[in-house]
Amino acid sequence: MKVIKILAALVGGLPNTITLLIASFIFSSLIGIGVAFLSLQDDKVGKSVSRVYIGLVRGTPPLLMLLLTYYGLPKLLSFIGIDSNNWAKIIFGIFGLSVGWGGYMAEAFRSAYLSVDEGQIKAAYSVGMTGETALREIILPQAFLIAIPNVENLLIGLLKATSLVYVIGLADMYQNASNLSNVNQGVYQLKIFIILALIYWILASLIEWGFRTYQSHFAHVEA
Amino acid sequence: MPLLTVNQLDKTVDNNHILKNIDFQISKGEVIVVIGPSGSGKTTFISNLNFLNNADKGEMNFRDKKIDLSSPKKDDVLWVRRHIAMVFQNYNLFKNKTALENITEGLIHGQGKSRDEANQIALEELKNVGLSEKKDAYPSQLSGGQKQRIGIARATALKPDIILFDEPTSALDPELVGTVVQDMDHLAQQGQTMIVVTHLMSFAKKVATKVLFFADGAILESGTPDQIFNHPKEKRTKEFLSAIAEDR
Repeated sequence: MKVIKILAALVGGLPNTITLLIASFIFSSLIGIGVAFLSLQDDKVGKSVSRVYIGLVRGTPPLLMLLLTYYGLPKLLSFIGIDSNNWAKIIFGIFGLSVGWGGYMAEAFRSAYLSVDEGQIKAAYSVGMTGETALREIILPQAFLIAIPNVENLLIGLLKATSLVYVIGLADMYQNASNLSNVNQGVYQLKIFIILALIYWILASLIEWGFRTYQSHFAHVEA
Repeated sequence: MPLLTVNQLDKTVDNNHILKNIDFQISKGEVIVVIGPSGSGKTTFISNLNFLNNADKGEMNFRDKKIDLSSPKKDDVLWVRRHIAMVFQNYNLFKNKTALENITEGLIHGQGKSRDEANQIALEELKNVGLSEKKDAYPSQLSGGQKQRIGIARATALKPDIILFDEPTSALDPELVGTVVQDMDHLAQQGQTMIVVTHLMSFAKKVATKVLFFADGAILESGTPDQIFNHPKEKRTKEFLSAIAEDR
């Protein structure tokens, strides 16, 4: 089988892979910010909720998270009168990955926030800033930069995790590769999977390049 | 009439009695130098004057306003910080801001000045410390001495009644100490009221109007530089002065 034919079949799954990656990245970041915020409050309830969430998510394999979402979410939704039977599978994929990655994102943001040098906060207060202004002008911008390397790792991890959506029957690149291998009785499977690996590697390299470029703009800010 | 009076400032952390009923006052134009062994409470003391940590007990009287040091009102804290500036041992310049922005942040967000006005003041301050050409540099691109001079400019730009210096030269390489001390000398000559925690005895001898010797969280002895350096009364003061190297 020609490389170009394999490539065409695999790339057919690329839109789903990219959609899953981008949407899950956005939602898991939002969940992460929210949970990190809760975990940093003095409020005991918020702290406990965030700790339980992070604990559950970190202790659940991503594959299982997708299965739980696919089979469990419709049941939960039906309790509140929402019928999700006709929802596209990709919604469950995005949901499962977002919830699964949100816990890691929360940890990345929380630890970055706590890594901001206390002297920076003291200086902000000493020049007369309020707590909110210090947060906006000094703490969050620095925490954001500290979080970037971890977020990059998580995004690459998420890219690879998108290949797990085959368990809910979603046609991403991996699912296409697997199907192509099967219909050819496994004759070309090594060739197919090498090509698939190369595509993931290119995507991961693009992410790395993007982060490197972004970070180079902030090279003058020592973390 | 003193500008700032502190009565019975007391603080304990984890059973360590860090500040023991400190009484203190400073008048306009005075330069008070605080010396003493490490761990004697000097930094905690001046941090308290800027509400950067909380006291357990004590009262501040600043510009005729009484403020409880153990549970100050939020507005009072902001008001005091607007009038009492601080220079830190490790500079604590905002890492994500340029030299110019480091100076304008307090003017804009603390004092409510417009960006234009703040920029003008900041440029003037940078000129005063001879660092105009570094206005767009970030802290990571500056030497320790330059950082501290910008730290001082950040404080003076606020036109504060008092500037607190927490060991401003301790983190500097010896050859960079001179320029920072020069800036501080200059400020003192202009009549700036200052409280300086330092090990620089030459600065204390030359500039201080009064020297406080801290030991174990209390002011053990105080007096003019001549009294403290040439005729110390307390044994601990004598030991400290003979133990420290001249101008470390």
